[in-house]
Amino acid sequence: MLLFSAIVSGIAVGSMYGLIALGYHVTYVVSSTVNFAQGSCVMLGAVLGYVLGIRLGLPMPLAIVLSILLCGLFGLVVERLLVRPFAERGSSAWLMATVAGGIVVDNVVLFTFGKEPRGFPSFLAAKPIEIFGMGVFPLQIVIPLVGLGLAVILQFAFQRTAKGKAMLAVVQNKRAAQLMGINVRRAVALSFALSTALAGLAGILIAPLFSVQSDMGTLFGIKAFAAAILGGIGSAWGVMLAGILYGLIEALVTSFAGSSYTQIVAFAVVIAALAIRPNGLLGRAGTRKV
Amino acid sequence: MAPKRMPPSTGTLAIVIIAAAAIAVALASESYTQFVLALVALTTIVGVGLNVLLGLSGQVSLGHVGFYAIGAYVSAILLGKGISFWLALPLAGALAGCIGILLALPALRVAGPYLAMITIAFAFIVQHGTIEWKSLTGGQNGLMGFAAPSFIGLPFAERESAILSVLLAAASLFLFRRLSLSGWGRAMVAVRDSETAARSIGLNPVAIKTASFAISAAFAGLAGAVYSPLMMFVAPDSFPFSQSILFLLAVMVGGAGAQFGPAVGAAITVLLPELLSQLAEYRLLFVGALLLAVLWAAPSGVMGLLARFVPRRERKPDAAPVDIDLRAFLGRGGATEELIVKGVGISFGGVKAATNVSFVAHPGRITSLIGPNGAGKSTVLNVIGGFYQPDRGSVTRGGVELAGLPAWRVARNGIARTYQTTQLFGAMTVLDNILIALRGGRLGHPLSALAGAADEDIARALLAFAGYGGRTDLEARYLAHVDLRLVEIARALATRPRVLLLDEPAAGLLRSDKNELGELLKKIATSGIAVILVEHDMQLVMTVSDHIVVLDAGEVIASGGPAQIRSNPAVLKAYLGASDMQARPRPVPWTAPPGEVVLSSLKLDAGYGAAPVLENVSLSVRAGEMVALLGANGAGKSTAMQAMTGLLRPVEGSIILNDERIDSLPAYLIAARGLALVPEGRQMFTELSVLDNMLLGAYTRPDADLRAEAEALLRRFPRLRDRIDTRAGLLSGGEQQMVAIARALMAKPKILLLDEPSLGLAPAMISELFAVLADLRDEGVTILLVDQMATLALKVADRGYVLQSGRIVQEDSAAALAHDPALEAAYLGRLETVE
Amino acid sequence: MPVTLRSLSRRALLVGAAVAFSMPAFAEDTIKFGLVAAMSGQSAKSGEAIMRGLSLAMDEINAKGGVLGKKLELVVRDDESNPARGVVAARELVQREKVAALFGGLDTPVSMAIVPFANQSRVPFMGVWAAGTAITRNGASDNYVFRVSAVDALVDRALVDYAIKKNAIKKPGMILINNSWGESNEGGLKAALTDKGLPFAGIEKFQDADVDVVPQLTRLKDEGADALFLVANVAPSSQVVKSLDRMGWNVPIISHWGPAGGRFTELAGPSAANVHFIQTFSFAGKMSPKAEAVFEALKKKYPEVKTLADVTPAVGIANAYDAMHLTAMAVEKAGSTDGTKIRDGFYAIDRYDGLIKAYDKPFSEQNHDALSSGDYIFTHFIEGEIVPLTN
Repeated sequence: MLLFSAIVSGIAVGSMYGLIALGYHVTYVVSSTVNFAQGSCVMLGAVLGYVLGIRLGLPMPLAIVLSILLCGLFGLVVERLLVRPFAERGSSAWLMATVAGGIVVDNVVLFTFGKEPRGFPSFLAAKPIEIFGMGVFPLQIVIPLVGLGLAVILQFAFQRTAKGKAMLAVVQNKRAAQLMGINVRRAVALSFALSTALAGLAGILIAPLFSVQSDMGTLFGIKAFAAAILGGIGSAWGVMLAGILYGLIEALVTSFAGSSYTQIVAFAVVIAALAIRPNGLLGRAGTRKV
Repeated sequence: MAPKRMPPSTGTLAIVIIAAAAIAVALASESYTQFVLALVALTTIVGVGLNVLLGLSGQVSLGHVGFYAIGAYVSAILLGKGISFWLALPLAGALAGCIGILLALPALRVAGPYLAMITIAFAFIVQHGTIEWKSLTGGQNGLMGFAAPSFIGLPFAERESAILSVLLAAASLFLFRRLSLSGWGRAMVAVRDSETAARSIGLNPVAIKTASFAISAAFAGLAGAVYSPLMMFVAPDSFPFSQSILFLLAVMVGGAGAQFGPAVGAAITVLLPELLSQLAEYRLLFVGALLLAVLWAAPSGVMGLLARFVPRRERKPDAAPVDIDLRAFLGRGGATEELIVKGVGISFGGVKAATNVSFVAHPGRITSLIGPNGAGKSTVLNVIGGFYQPDRGSVTRGGVELAGLPAWRVARNGIARTYQTTQLFGAMTVLDNILIALRGGRLGHPLSALAGAADEDIARALLAFAGYGGRTDLEARYLAHVDLRLVEIARALATRPRVLLLDEPAAGLLRSDKNELGELLKKIATSGIAVILVEHDMQLVMTVSDHIVVLDAGEVIASGGPAQIRSNPAVLKAYLGASDMQARPRPVPWTAPPGEVVLSSLKLDAGYGAAPVLENVSLSVRAGEMVALLGANGAGKSTAMQAMTGLLRPVEGSIILNDERIDSLPAYLIAARGLALVPEGRQMFTELSVLDNMLLGAYTRPDADLRAEAEALLRRFPRLRDRIDTRAGLLSGGEQQMVAIARALMAKPKILLLDEPSLGLAPAMISELFAVLADLRDEGVTILLVDQMATLALKVADRGYVLQSGRIVQEDSAAALAHDPALEAAYLGRLETVE
Repeated sequence: MPVTLRSLSRRALLVGAAVAFSMPAFAEDTIKFGLVAAMSGQSAKSGEAIMRGLSLAMDEINAKGGVLGKKLELVVRDDESNPARGVVAARELVQREKVAALFGGLDTPVSMAIVPFANQSRVPFMGVWAAGTAITRNGASDNYVFRVSAVDALVDRALVDYAIKKNAIKKPGMILINNSWGESNEGGLKAALTDKGLPFAGIEKFQDADVDVVPQLTRLKDEGADALFLVANVAPSSQVVKSLDRMGWNVPIISHWGPAGGRFTELAGPSAANVHFIQTFSFAGKMSPKAEAVFEALKKKYPEVKTLADVTPAVGIANAYDAMHLTAMAVEKAGSTDGTKIRDGFYAIDRYDGLIKAYDKPFSEQNHDALSSGDYIFTHFIEGEIVPLTN
């Protein structure tokens, strides 16, 4: 019983980590940079969904689509203002810039959206359904399905479509990709848009189970980064699975060892895993040639 | 070689002045200012620690608040137990340092974001540890009420804490300077710039990176130990994760690697929020925005920005090399052990890269390893150098088994090497590159200077010996190609090797440079070193080698003197192919139809940064024509190609493709307009299949029947058919070159540019390549070709241009150019002999 | 050298920065009070509530001519919920802004960090929210710390008493937020239960960002908990309620005042009503004339306040309001802004008809807490409004 409940909780939360972590994966493979404001994008997705769907009363599907699009747009801004100016000069200050950007966004939302946490009602998180005698919100099943579905779609898009292969080409050799007529800057910008859109989606999905507030994304962002690294940030599958794994570790440790140890154990697992597999669980070492 | 004393510098003076001023402020102000001053100083100390990590060894830590917290808790706990602060302070630093070593164990195996994550995880573990270990840390409510430190009976208030912090900060800045100039500091930079090369001069990267982690952590721990009595209170919430980011920000804003970077950064990141405190709830918003503004305005940090305004100090002219008996230095009293390679075998993923390779390299002689591409030459070199562990066999010298030892140990056993692509420490000066190698892995005291005057004399002599005549205070990354090779050889010699491994040292060198290189190699051998040479240039190999070992498919197929090898039929068959290098001219000389210029440049100027590489270059290629662009290394050929393709922007003058100006277009738009480049070094998409590589060539024509076109190209390149689903990265150089050409042809380009297609290919492969080029030419493809093989290029081409120092100095029909003796002498060195 | 606009503005900026940093704002005919509270981040709402309560009271005082003939002025600093920031801010307020007294915010660790400084520099420090027991009972011989707020040790006793009386608990469990507030109540609840000779089923902690508290709650359920003591702010509290809903576990929940900090019904759903939580004050129900006046003034001063649901957290506003009036009275009694005299001024206050209650000799040398266990009421949320429960 305890085990089953821990597994359900772990998978649902873990899939959300996985979704956010997919965002880290996408930008990392395309541009070797990550957006440390990713947590803020999670929050932005939830806040935009709330404002459009509940405050302004738009039909929820439309509100969700609009929020995700706006998050994607935000990704373009992040790339243009916080990443490109530094990454193109070979400086790693994008790391700090995206962190600072996240602080700014969180605070702007704090003063515009409001300081109070708000509830995001959803019929998917109103009444639990019973599975094997365990109450589960339908949304907790929807989140893993969406996560795994997106991982499959991303994998397919990269491996099978011309645009996807063009992205892979950018990943592997930027100069040669330009010579093929591929607009590398646009590919990088797109990867950021995709990444923040994924984070925004994760925010909307988690909002009904959680609450909407300006700093809700920070810790999700960090844990998702841990998951991305744990899985091997270069591997989409690894990242998604590691997200679920990370959620499971948290839930299992809480259930069986007590909540005092949850964070210590979860982060220690990340360090230990990297000590054994320096490129993450499913990551592949780059071919090293002397 | 006693290290000389470091001269007191303006830096030291600046530290003293700033510290004195800060102490004066502390004495004159009220406790709030003292408090803020102390925070700036403590942040500076942590920043200096981070600077060791980030600025010297190039690693990022987002977890330094963890070390800071450890230091703070140690001093708070010990003070609470009545132990003297002056004991607690060093203990806090030491404990943080030790934990830094522990953290370095997993951290060393990873890099980039993986390292960032390990440090983040560490910070969280420390925070939750302080929460849960209640009996020691007081849990969430923290510790308070511990005794204040005192100094000769004087209890510490804010003023004393501020003065102590300032003194410690000044000391840390001073120590950073000493460290960064010491052997250890230089070794950290070396490991950062090229870990591979660092290992091959005997540096142990694990020890060096661990040291930088430990030092960095100890600084943070020390600062933390002062922090808790200053605050009179510590709690887990005092060390939020965001503080880690602020520490790192201080270093980056100040300028990573700069001595005063952390101090400037600490002042900004601590004072800015204080100045904005009146904004109350809006403060964080403004702090975030202002920090962004600083990052935008000074991406390389404030110190980096200031450095641009400070006029560079006049450089002292280089001291003339002192006459030093290098033979004694290199000969090391005439040791005579040979290197014995016996039965070495190694395979990667089931593919045998070397099988039962045996040979002996004698001191004083040059042993060459030759063979076609993929024969396993570099693999054998890497086994000897300790970079690969062989599955079977042994490598011994003087009875010492070297196989399986880590590379840095092999290096300390007298094996030095150079690399196919040179691996100098780019951010270090030419002189420092040599000096660090002179240490032979022994780094000495972490605070004493890298080298004394005697060492510098030896280093200069070595550079002169290797034929390097340029500045010695230039950072190595700015060196020209040939100088990179020479300095790398000098660096290898600085380790006083008994065996010197050279991996294609002549690649990309001009004939005349190659001849000088040959002389240098002979000189090196004469001093008693066993030289092992891997090289494609047969002329060089045949002239300098005492002994030649021929490899094919990982096995030794012949060995002996140059004369023997030259006449060995097995060698000829395997290595040179059925015949010698050939290129087929047009059956009927080409006559240009009027008009129809496909690509032209007019008064083109281009370059990198301030120095122009191309000046006033005007050339044109007509439809159906094949034009060769020739010139010595560094003449600007590749720059011209990059300017035409759009990879290099901005350029001055005009470039016209099919009556449209393209000189301001980026590369991807030019590609879409029908210009395809086969880039130097092939530039494969290594993880994609051969087919995917080819299909990407047609990215701009998504509607075409690509499968059919790919099929047609496979008929032209039959050897690609079997490998169509193989990852391109696994192909041999020759096969990759074919893929690169096929990929470019998939674009159905209006003009095909080729940049050094024959570079690094075995002779048989080169012949095949030029046959393909001749076919394309005969089919009417418009081609602009840049190639080192000038004679071959002029054979297949219709017309040629000669570049010298960025200007076109000759233009003529290919036939005329080929027989222009003045041209041969002046611009191409000696032309390759082609039968 | 030609002076360009750019260099001029740069110089102006430098001068401005130097002035801002080196000089107290202005020398003056006002009495300044400082507030160090969380104005940003996840506890920002608490800082806003405190600021509103203080400002309302100050407006009333200033309208009547101020204190000692001087107007009152509030100087606000953000502590970011970080004790280190709080201490620096407190020093700045005392030494630069020369405030006569400090007001504190929600976070117990921040207040704890300021306590030694306040006592050492002899500036009264008035807590209006943080309930950590040791803040006022800090053991200093010369204590300058006062409070108009709940005290964890007393709250915990009240919670246990209420649970025994109302739910006849035998073996309660604790579900506590993992911060210092949770830890402070862990000790308080344990002590209160020990006094009553009751065992507990277990103590579980959870984080602000925990989406799902089911694992912790399942552990408590498996240990046989027959009631839950809940200590957390409104958003995490609602996570507990939602998780209970999912488990289908209907268990009495007796809570500290966290749920009052926001829109608990909206966040936790209909089961929010099951949570019985403690309050020092509520605008709900039949308002006293004083409460009505304050509510009207709130609506007037802050247009975004329209209904009672917008007055959150009411305790923050009410505590701050009364604390400001009491502090002003202490200054008036002291006849000067000298810290020690103000401290003695607090002891000298006889009577004050406040928003929360009528205070009668609220402070003495032995007692620095104006509110006591008799001032606690139990309430729950019905349809978004806080409704008192009858004991």
